Amino acid sequence: MAGLELRDIRKSYGNVEVIKGVDLAISHGEFVVFVGPSGCGKSTLLRMIAGLEDITAGDIFIGDTLVNDVEARDRGVAMVFQSYALYPHMSVYDNVGFALKLAKTDKEVRDKKIREVARVLQMEELLERKPAQLSGGQRQRVAIGRAIVRDPDVFLFDEPLSNLDAALRVDMRMELSRLHQDLDATMIYVTHDQIEAMTLADKIVVLDGGIVQQVGSPLELYNRPANLFVAGFIGSPKMNFLPVEVAAAANDSVIVAGSALDSTELARPIAGIARADKLTLGLRPQAFVASKAGIRGKVELVERLGHETIVRVRLKDGSDIMAVLQGQSDVMPGDAIGLGFDHKDVHLFGKDGARL
Amino acid sequence: MNAAARSLLARALIVLLMAVTLLPFLSMFSAALAPSGTYPNGLEWPSDPQWINFVKAFEVANMGELLKSSALIVLGVVPVSVLIATMAGYGLAKLTSNRYKWLYLVFVAGLTLPFEAVITPLYYEVRALGLLNTRFAIILPLIGLYMPFSVYWMRAHFLNVPNDLTEAAQLDGATRWDEFWKVQVPLARPAIMSLMILLFLWTWNQFLLPVVLVRDPLQRTMAGALGAFQGQWGTDVPLLCAGSLLILAPTIILFLIFQRQFVAALMQGAVKG
Ligand SMILES: Nc1ncnc2c1ncn2[C@@H]1O[C@H](COP(=O)(O)OP(=O)(O)O)[C@@H](O)[C@H]1O
Ligand SMILES: [Mg+2]
Repeated sequence: MAGLELRDIRKSYGNVEVIKGVDLAISHGEFVVFVGPSGCGKSTLLRMIAGLEDITAGDIFIGDTLVNDVEARDRGVAMVFQSYALYPHMSVYDNVGFALKLAKTDKEVRDKKIREVARVLQMEELLERKPAQLSGGQRQRVAIGRAIVRDPDVFLFDEPLSNLDAALRVDMRMELSRLHQDLDATMIYVTHDQIEAMTLADKIVVLDGGIVQQVGSPLELYNRPANLFVAGFIGSPKMNFLPVEVAAAANDSVIVAGSALDSTELARPIAGIARADKLTLGLRPQAFVASKAGIRGKVELVERLGHETIVRVRLKDGSDIMAVLQGQSDVMPGDAIGLGFDHKDVHLFGKDGARL
Repeated sequence: MNAAARSLLARALIVLLMAVTLLPFLSMFSAALAPSGTYPNGLEWPSDPQWINFVKAFEVANMGELLKSSALIVLGVVPVSVLIATMAGYGLAKLTSNRYKWLYLVFVAGLTLPFEAVITPLYYEVRALGLLNTRFAIILPLIGLYMPFSVYWMRAHFLNVPNDLTEAAQLDGATRWDEFWKVQVPLARPAIMSLMILLFLWTWNQFLLPVVLVRDPLQRTMAGALGAFQGQWGTDVPLLCAGSLLILAPTIILFLIFQRQFVAALMQGAVKG
């Protein structure tokens, strides 16, 4: 059982640097999710930890061991691939038992372990089948079984649920959470889906362009996104961004105004800004309530989900914002609407995109 | 033209093609049944079929010995070729970094080389090795000559195996050697089967190499032994035909047994090109 540490990890393909210096500490037993848009380098980072990809620069420690030059098979990590990567010619039993067989585990011990894993994953009746005879969800189970049977220090998952349909994805997500608790193992999980990240993670690592944008618990990221990228990436629907200008800045409050926003006073001290600074104001769709005051606009589109109503509102400067109103609102497209909000829910970002 | 007429035309064409393919065989068959020493035209069924010709051909050409010799040569060539080609194909497809991709071109270049072009230098080389007139004079050059195609074939297969499998095996603790034998080779079975069948056919039907490099007909392949019907007894057409049919028999039997794999082998070539 072991934690993990990355120190200034870099990766280049030819002249293109795709991982640009990642520092990260993961303690034993944590469930860490790498999340970011497609192509941001999540898989590359994971594969470097697994030992499937050379490291261009930096150090990786698993436990206290520097593993830069340790072969993948000696790193004590197990990985579940997006494609499942089951051995097509072997039965489920042999797929799960392959690692044990290679390790020359005694036949009876092996059999016991395989059956135990099959029991945990509720796939005892599948043991004799070949991968081709399994559904997507069943293959997924086998792939997970193959990983846990070895009792590894670290589990790696590369978008393991992305080939499953929505309902199954929710089931498997819960099952993975349960496994994590039962196994008491370190897990690193890659996904582009922020909902998976929010629901599974103890700690989320948001990546973009090969750079770590923010590391934190799901709620830290949701409540205090470090920059515009994280703010836009975490949360659904996306956070609304409004361009604003600082009208007045005092010690303990600031007044901002924008083309779609009347003068608004934020009663909190914000350092390092001055009059006429151009900023971005962020408001989550869930922060709004229908009211007479606040941001005014015209309802463009209404989605009624029962427990909430999602509306798209066209503002006077022509931009759109999304609002999620609690309960079953009776707004209709074409209605004029006012969206009130609490100043505490306002996020402010500077010119460089960093949180203020 | 409507669909029915078109399908009829397609069928007619297929029947025609089949006739064109089968005609030489039927012609040979009728000629083989003509009285020994005559010159049949191969277009009519003999009035008095001489089935005994097959027995005679079997004895004259010493087919029993030849079968054994052919089998020995096939056994010397095919397993070794397939083993080397499988390993080389795996190496070229999965273990070769971009810097050494050109190595593969060397093999492809070998594909352009016709047997006939190398037969003379081969003769001197085999003589220098002191292997002339032994079966090794056929076995060793054939293994070499088959390599370009075989390696190309196996590499094409391994290129299509997803890298994920290799990586999964590595993470399961497999060495390259484990992975090759326990994952890649079992998965390559169809490709290996196809290659074995093709190499068997080519070896069995090998004519030029045995005739040039081995004087004793009894150490040649069966096809190479066809020469025995010439010269020694003059060219006896009915016996020659009966002999040819006997030589064909094992391949035809093999074809009937492995029909599906044969077709798969040919299709595979067609798809992968
Ligand atoms: N073998 C490779 N050669 C060159 N570029 C690669 C290779 N693998 C990945 N990349 C590039 O590295 C970047 C990150 O890829 P990846 O880690 O797969 O992204 P993600 O998993 O986040 O979608 C991408 O821009 C991709 O094009
Ligand atoms: Mg990826």
